[in-house]
Amino acid sequence: MKLKNKLAVYQSYLPTGTKKQESQPEAKQELIDIPNLEKWHNFGVAPYILDDQYCLIREVRYPLETQRGKYTFFDYLNVVNAWQNHSLLHPLSAKGYRPTDLFFFDTETTGLGGGTGNTIFLLGYAFIDDDEVVVKQHLLPEPGGEIPLYHSFLKSVDYTTLVTYNGKAFDWPQVKTRHTLIREHVPKLPAFGHFDLLHASRRLWKDELESVKLTIVEKEVLGIEREEDVPGYLAPIIYFDFLQSNQLDGIVKVMEHNEEDVLSLIILYTHISCQLLGLDVNQTNREKLAVGKWYSALNERDAAIQVYEEAITSLRGREKWKGMYDLAIQYKKQKKRDMAEAIWQEIIELGNGIEKINACIELAKVHEHVNKDFEKALQLSILALEEYESTQLLDYKNNHLKEELEKRILRLEGKIRREKSN
Amino acid sequence: MLGKRQLQEIINWMKQTNEINENIIHWETIEGKEAINVPFPEELHPKLQAALEKRGITSLYSHQREAFDYGMKGMDFTAVTPTASGKTLCYNLPVLQTILENVEARALYMFPTKALSYDQKSELNELIDEAGIEINSYTYDGDTPAHIRQKIRKAGHIVITNPDMLHSGILPHHTKWVSLFENIKFIIVDELHIYRGVFGSHTANVIRRLKRICRFYGSDPVFICTSATIANPKELAEALTGKTMQLIDQNGAPSGRKHFVFYNPPIVNKQLNIRRSATLEVRKLAGEFLKNKIQTIIFAKSRVRVEIILTYLQELIKDKIGPKGIRGYRGGYLPTERREIEKGLRNGDIYGVVSTNALELGVDIGQLQVCIMTGYPGTIASAWQQAGRAGRRHGEALILYVASSAPLDQYIINHPEYFFKQSPEVARINPDNLIILVDHVKCAAFELPFKKGETFGGIDVEDVLDYLLDQKILVFSGNKYHWMSDSFPAHNISLRSASQENVVIIDQTDIAHVQVIGEMDTFSALTLLHDEAIYMHQGVQYQVEKLDWEEKKAFVREVQTDYYTDANLAVDLKVLEVDKERETDVAQIQYGDVAVQAMATIFKKIKFETHENIGSGPIHLPEQILHTTSAWISLKDEPNWHKDRLEQGLIGMAHLLKNMVPMYVMCDPSDVYVTPQLKSSHNEKPTIFLYDRYPGGVGLSDQIYDKITDILLEARKMIKNCPCENGCPSCIGTDGTSQNGKIDAITLLNAFLNGVLK
Repeated sequence: MKLKNKLAVYQSYLPTGTKKQESQPEAKQELIDIPNLEKWHNFGVAPYILDDQYCLIREVRYPLETQRGKYTFFDYLNVVNAWQNHSLLHPLSAKGYRPTDLFFFDTETTGLGGGTGNTIFLLGYAFIDDDEVVVKQHLLPEPGGEIPLYHSFLKSVDYTTLVTYNGKAFDWPQVKTRHTLIREHVPKLPAFGHFDLLHASRRLWKDELESVKLTIVEKEVLGIEREEDVPGYLAPIIYFDFLQSNQLDGIVKVMEHNEEDVLSLIILYTHISCQLLGLDVNQTNREKLAVGKWYSALNERDAAIQVYEEAITSLRGREKWKGMYDLAIQYKKQKKRDMAEAIWQEIIELGNGIEKINACIELAKVHEHVNKDFEKALQLSILALEEYESTQLLDYKNNHLKEELEKRILRLEGKIRREKSN
Repeated sequence: MLGKRQLQEIINWMKQTNEINENIIHWETIEGKEAINVPFPEELHPKLQAALEKRGITSLYSHQREAFDYGMKGMDFTAVTPTASGKTLCYNLPVLQTILENVEARALYMFPTKALSYDQKSELNELIDEAGIEINSYTYDGDTPAHIRQKIRKAGHIVITNPDMLHSGILPHHTKWVSLFENIKFIIVDELHIYRGVFGSHTANVIRRLKRICRFYGSDPVFICTSATIANPKELAEALTGKTMQLIDQNGAPSGRKHFVFYNPPIVNKQLNIRRSATLEVRKLAGEFLKNKIQTIIFAKSRVRVEIILTYLQELIKDKIGPKGIRGYRGGYLPTERREIEKGLRNGDIYGVVSTNALELGVDIGQLQVCIMTGYPGTIASAWQQAGRAGRRHGEALILYVASSAPLDQYIINHPEYFFKQSPEVARINPDNLIILVDHVKCAAFELPFKKGETFGGIDVEDVLDYLLDQKILVFSGNKYHWMSDSFPAHNISLRSASQENVVIIDQTDIAHVQVIGEMDTFSALTLLHDEAIYMHQGVQYQVEKLDWEEKKAFVREVQTDYYTDANLAVDLKVLEVDKERETDVAQIQYGDVAVQAMATIFKKIKFETHENIGSGPIHLPEQILHTTSAWISLKDEPNWHKDRLEQGLIGMAHLLKNMVPMYVMCDPSDVYVTPQLKSSHNEKPTIFLYDRYPGGVGLSDQIYDKITDILLEARKMIKNCPCENGCPSCIGTDGTSQNGKIDAITLLNAFLNGVLK
């Protein structure tokens, strides 16, 4: 009997050091030749065998008190709890979920674009279990092993509560694509709930950061430094090399990269939640404005107003006028006209630029349509036009403004003439 | 001339006016034909019947009924449908009926161009609206906005697209189209005859991939093809789809009386056999129709020609009908502009249109009264398509063919029987061309892993898969070949390019307005685009200022010179393998694979008219190698001539053959190369090789091998009937400057044909 076969037969007698994987059909293991089993084992990886195919699963655990950038994983538990007491309807709200419900998910694929032939070779996710953070990764050891890959993945993850970075547009459609190819052999994919943190990052930091790539957000916003990280775009080549050479060194680095990604997603979710819930004492005014904008887009006016009001007390210059203008719009939508008008008035008196023009227009509208004070409305419109001409608004989005103002002025002049002749 | 004249009066005028009728070589009148009507099928859905009746259709033409019956029985079929024979009902009726019976059913329509897709979509939607039925049909191509794409994928009953989009936008993403592929009942291939040569060979492979994906989802759709008149519609459809086809070629649509007039412009230089420009003649004739507000379509062969004729005509008749009354139509016009012109033609606001072959395809412009072809469109199939644009169901129509000096044009005008009696050209494809095949096996492997032993379009591709394994593009695992590369193969494969690498021709006459005026394969560029070459483009002379071989760019500038350039190409042609051969007493005919090594050596400047050599220069370009298929003919015994004379004779004959080939094989003269050899390296005999321009061949040489006797016979007829004395550009080409060039070419033809050697 060969040593390898012997090992398989006598495996249960040998000390392994790890807990046995449950439900693993070990009896079949002897039929499959799994290269580098021992090396894998040292890296925390065990095979998952289904019929005559297998995939590899790695599991790593971290205590909750582990520090990662500005936070520990305890902070994650705290924000999930904080969401429970919050009445806001927000797409990222964890209300109704326990901390253990969310799966922070990321994939590595053989191509950078889409298409059926782009294979997912690593499915990684982090979640909370038994007061620990668990990172689990399912690796496709060779292209023919997709059935065990998806089988093991779909039964161990709750895909209704995935938290991803661009997963809505990339990872999940790609999972669906590859799943379609083997759909007769694996459980069905139902509709799922999805938190995509990319959109949140765009809203909060796109003006400050050169790009909102996860590694950049992680470094600049979360204060996480990676050591010896393999850049994501090299993953396909490293995987091809692994398939050819069966050497673990490269692919192990890719798995560590993926692990860093999913761990950071926990921290990023924690940080974004802090922004939205007002729990971050270090929140910048820009972030406050961005949060206010987001709430107003969601028609959560009270929340938006609260954030704007806080923000403008310490804002200066353009940002202040911007924040005030947005705040006034919230008041207007709440029909708190007096409060809105007072702010516009303040912007007109003290501010300048596009916010001043817009404030003039808003006030002119009130005078024209509500108060029927055409003279005042005309004065404001002329003021706006003067401001337009003295400010050089090069942004093409503002091109229509001048035309609109001229139309408004003509109309008001007409109304005034008619009023006088009556 | 007072008042407007009717078409009949103009016809009489043409017959009676000497300066017109002396140029008319042939006048053929084709009598009208009654419709063959049959009742609606009993099972036809009442809503469909009502919609047809609303349009005034109370019965079907016989071919439409035949199509409906085949379609409903689930039989693949090909319908040969001339212009205006109601071809769309041939597929729309079975498709709509099937969807009405099963709301889950889906169909895919494939048109060769986007413009046709839009046209068909509006027509289909009109029918659907009139029937008041809930069937969604959408076009899906590069212009489809992202936000409705998902809806089309899920809910489109009928998806209208083109082969390019299928190739790079749909098949590689088939998992997003599950509801289409699981329920697909029909695949419609319209304008079948367009899918020939390289484009057809690629498309056949796209269809192989499509069928493979359908099988994966458990569907087996029926293929319906419609085609213009070609010699082998059934064979082409079967090669393209890999299905056994029923053929519908009995047309039941009515037609009016048609006058087919062959007009040859008068000779202006007897010695060189040069005629008056066809463009000028067309101006004169078209002007006459348009002045009388007779709706006329004028076909020209190039975009530039279209613009020239248009300008002439607008000038000529601006007082009569105004500049908006006559329009141009060609690629490069905006879609909205085209739609406006089509509509104007249908409702009669526009009297005249000058078009490239863009209007040859099934775009609906109604039926006009007169069609003028400026030059022979290249194939009989095209000519009939263009002619079909004129001819209302009732009343007469006039089709005028105005020949240019080109050899093929002159042949056709002198042999009207060829046009009227001969069966049209054969369209060939070669889906198994190795280069094309490997490209599509890659795409197919990206779409679904190949199982060991799986065939592709019925052929064993294991060697190809193993090759791709070696290239590290595939990985073999679990008894399957898996795609393992970070590229997206369809993006690097174009269905329409004839050669992988073309030289782009850039006109820098106006340095502020540099523009690309054309492209050419590298092999031809050796002799036509070298530094200092005089390059003729749409009748305009350009000089090549620089050929950047690395970047494959030729920079040209417009010039006016009294000479042309002629490059010497040292061709070494080796026969790699003989696949087929046959013999006559005097000649040997073979077919197989060849390697052509070509190197341009020097060029000569040759004066027009006198053919004096007025200078020369070297060409410094690397040797090119082309591997392709070829048919060749060798003389077993050679005439006892001086070697130069024999060479000139062979060159003259080669030139003739090159121009005759498109009459038997549907292709451009430039798709086939001809090389004569005094002593061929494989048998030491005088030989003429005809070979495919595309590496590996797309079936043209194969067809030439079968038809070589006919081609030689016609070539002999053509040269004998050529009115020149010692050879001219219209027969043996401008190369033949020797006194006996013409007679020697005829002698050699005789030798090949019946072994008579002088």
